[in-house]
Amino acid sequence: MTRTTRTACVWCPDWPVTAARRRDPELAGVPVVVRERIGSRDVVRCASSEARADGVTRGMRRREAEARSPGVVCIDADPAYEARAFEVVARAIETVTPRVVLDRPGRCDFPTRGPARYFGGDEALAAHVRSVVAATGFGEGVRVGIADGMFAARLAARHARASEVGVHVVAPGESAVFLTPWPVSTLNNEALVSLLVRLGLRTLGSVAALPNDAVLARFGTDGRVFHELARGLDPGPPVLVTPPPDLVEQCELDPPATRVDVAAFAAKGLADRLLERLAERGLACTQVIVEAETEYGERLARTWRHDKALTPAALSERVRWQLDGWLAAQAPVVAAGDRRAQQDADVMADVDTAAGALTLVRLVPDEVVPADGRQLGFWGGDQAARDRADRALARVQGMLGYDAVATAVVQGGRTPVEQVRWVPWGEPREPERPLTIDGEVPAWPGALPPPYPARVFAPPLPAELLDGDGRPVRVSGRGESGPRPAWLWCRALPAGGGTVRSAAGPWPHDVRWWDPATRSRRVLWQLVVMTEDAGEIACIAAVENGSATVEAVYD
Amino acid sequence: MARAEIPDGLPLSAIAARVQPFVAARERLLPVALPLGNHLPNGGVQRGTTVVVDGRRGVGVTTTTLMLAAAATTTGEWAAIVDPDGTVGARAAADAGVELERCAVVRRVPRDRWSAVVAALLDGAALVAATVPDRLRPGDARRLIAKARERSSVLVAVGPWPVEAALRLHVEPSAWERASSGLLTRRDIVVHVEGRGVRAPMRLAHAV
Repeated sequence: MTRTTRTACVWCPDWPVTAARRRDPELAGVPVVVRERIGSRDVVRCASSEARADGVTRGMRRREAEARSPGVVCIDADPAYEARAFEVVARAIETVTPRVVLDRPGRCDFPTRGPARYFGGDEALAAHVRSVVAATGFGEGVRVGIADGMFAARLAARHARASEVGVHVVAPGESAVFLTPWPVSTLNNEALVSLLVRLGLRTLGSVAALPNDAVLARFGTDGRVFHELARGLDPGPPVLVTPPPDLVEQCELDPPATRVDVAAFAAKGLADRLLERLAERGLACTQVIVEAETEYGERLARTWRHDKALTPAALSERVRWQLDGWLAAQAPVVAAGDRRAQQDADVMADVDTAAGALTLVRLVPDEVVPADGRQLGFWGGDQAARDRADRALARVQGMLGYDAVATAVVQGGRTPVEQVRWVPWGEPREPERPLTIDGEVPAWPGALPPPYPARVFAPPLPAELLDGDGRPVRVSGRGESGPRPAWLWCRALPAGGGTVRSAAGPWPHDVRWWDPATRSRRVLWQLVVMTEDAGEIACIAAVENGSATVEAVYD
Repeated sequence: MARAEIPDGLPLSAIAARVQPFVAARERLLPVALPLGNHLPNGGVQRGTTVVVDGRRGVGVTTTTLMLAAAATTTGEWAAIVDPDGTVGARAAADAGVELERCAVVRRVPRDRWSAVVAALLDGAALVAATVPDRLRPGDARRLIAKARERSSVLVAVGPWPVEAALRLHVEPSAWERASSGLLTRRDIVVHVEGRGVRAPMRLAHAV
C-alpha cells in the first residue's frame, strides 16, 4: 500500500539568518531577528541563536522580541534572496546526487539508495554531504538526517542537534521506534494537533498505537494520513498519477535573458499555462522540475516540491527564485555602487559555472495528484458532495472494518468473479489485469459475452447439474462434456431450481495448467432454467472435478 | 421576484418568506434513464423519498435496482449499495449506467447493524440501495424513511419492506431471448409500478 523511500534531509537551521549574515557580515555575532508581516502583525519569522538565548521565539511579535533581547537587529525577510543563496548549497549537494528536491530555502531532501552505496553507508554519506556543504561557507550548523521516509528524515535532521557531528542516522526499519517520543505538534495541522492533545494523545507513539479503523472513524482521512506518518510510513500524496507526457511547458527567450525580471516574466506565463492545462484534466501539481538552457548549451534543472498542490502564485514564486539563483550565479555585471548586487556576486562566486544568459525555460510537472479540493462544481456542490460522501463512508468503514466498503474495478478475466476487483474505499482503483495493455486488448478465451450477470457468487454455490437420465453432468479429461444438462438444483434459484430449458456452451477452461497448486480444469454452461413459480431464470453453472456449482445469476 | 411586487409596509419576516428560493418538485428529481424512466412519475425518483423494489430472485430485481442507482451517479453524485451477501455484479452495474468510481458497495453487514449502516450512508450518498433483511422492524423502517427525507437522499429498499413507500416497483417473471447458439441476448423486464403520482398501477416492459 505504502512504500517508504530511504531519504536524507539536509537542513540548515535559521536559514534566513544565515543568508542575511552572509549578505551583511556585520551581523555576525549579534542577535538577529528576521521579521515578516502577517496581516497587520509584525512577527518574528526566524531568530538567531543569540536572540533565542534571550527568549525570542518564532511567531513572537517584533516589539516583544526587542523587549526581551535589547540590541537585537531586526531585518526584513527576503525570500527571494534566501532562495538564491540556498542555490549554492543545492548545487553543492548536487555533486553527491542528482535527485535533490527542494522543500523550502534552507531544507532539501534526496533519496539515499544510490549515493549511500557509493560512499559506503549512510553515515559516510551524511558526513560527506556535511563536508560538501561546509565547503560552500554555509556549513554553519548544517544538519543531516537519514531515515525511512521523508517525515522521519526531517525529524532526524532536527534530532541531529543533540549530537556534535550534526548527523543522525536512523537504522533501516527503526523509523517507527524513532518517532515514538516526538510530540504530535510535529505534524503540520494545527486543528488536528490541538484535538489530539486535548484527547491526551501527546506523542506520535500514542497516535501510532491506535487501531487503524478507530483513527479513520474518529478523525477521517486526515487522521489516517497522520496515523501512517506516526507509524513511520510515508503516505506521500494520496494517489499519484503518472504525469501526462505532453504537459511540458517551455518558452524560448530571444534575446537570451540576463536579467531575472525578464526570465521570470516569461516563466510566470508558463506557470499559469501549466497549471491551467493540468486543471483542465482535473490534476494538480505537487512537485515540479524547473529546467533552463543557457546560451552555451548548458542545461540546468532543479526539482521543487510543495506539501500541498501548487497554486499559480506559489509556482511562479519558486520558478522566479530558481531563475534568480541561476542568473545570479552567472557572475553578473555589477553596477558600481550597487552594494547588494556586489555581495550577491560574492556569494555566487564560489560556484564555478561557465554558463551565460538563459535561452530557454521549461517547466515539467514531476508529481501530479487528482485535484480534489480545488475544483468547484457548477453550483459549488460537487466538492461538498464528495466530502459528505467521504465522511459517511469513512464512518461506515469505522463501524464495519476498513475493507467492508469497496468500489469495483472492471478488469480482464474469464469468469464473472475474475472480471471484477474490489478495492477498499479510498485506495487507488487499479486493476490487477488491465483491460487494455499498451492499447492492445488481451484475449480471455472462454469468457462469456454480454449481457453480464447481476449476481455473482464468490465462492460459487454448490449445485446439482443432472442430465436427462438423472446422472450428474461430468467433464472428460479433454474438457469435453457428455450429455447436455437437463436439471439444475441450487439454493440460489427460486423454488430451488428446475428443468433446463436451454443451454449454451460448454466453454472449457484449462486454467494455469503450468502451476500444479492453482491449476483447474472446468467447463462453464450458460443455462436458462424453468422454475415452478418464477418463470425463466438464467444463470452460469460450472462443472469441475465432477461437482457442479452456480457461479452467477442474471438477476 | 421583482421589487415592485412586494407591497410597502410588510414586516421583514413576511418579505423573507416571499423571496426565499423556490424549488420546484421537478428540480428535486433524480432522472432515471429510459426505458424505465418513461414509466416513473416525472421520469425519475424524487429526492428524499423511499422506493421499494421487490420480486422473486432472478427475475431482474438487481438490474432494476442498478438502473435506479445509475440515476444518482450520472448526475455526478454518489450512490451506495448495501449488499450483505457481497454478490452484486459490477459489470452488470457498469452496463446499467452506474459510474463505478462514485458507487460504494458495503459488504458484510451484520443484521443488527443494518439500520445504523443505512442511516450513516443516507448522510453521505444521494442514493442508497439496500437489500432489506428479513423481518425488519417497522419502527426502524420508518426511521430510515424520515432520515432519507431529512437528508434529501433516495432510499431504494430491495426486498420485503414492512411499511409504506412513495413508489413500489414489483418485478415480475419474464422470458429471455436467445440467439440460435443458445446464448442469451436480451430480455424485457416486466415491472409493475404503483405509488404516488402514478395514475394507475401499470405494467411496463423494458429491455436489458
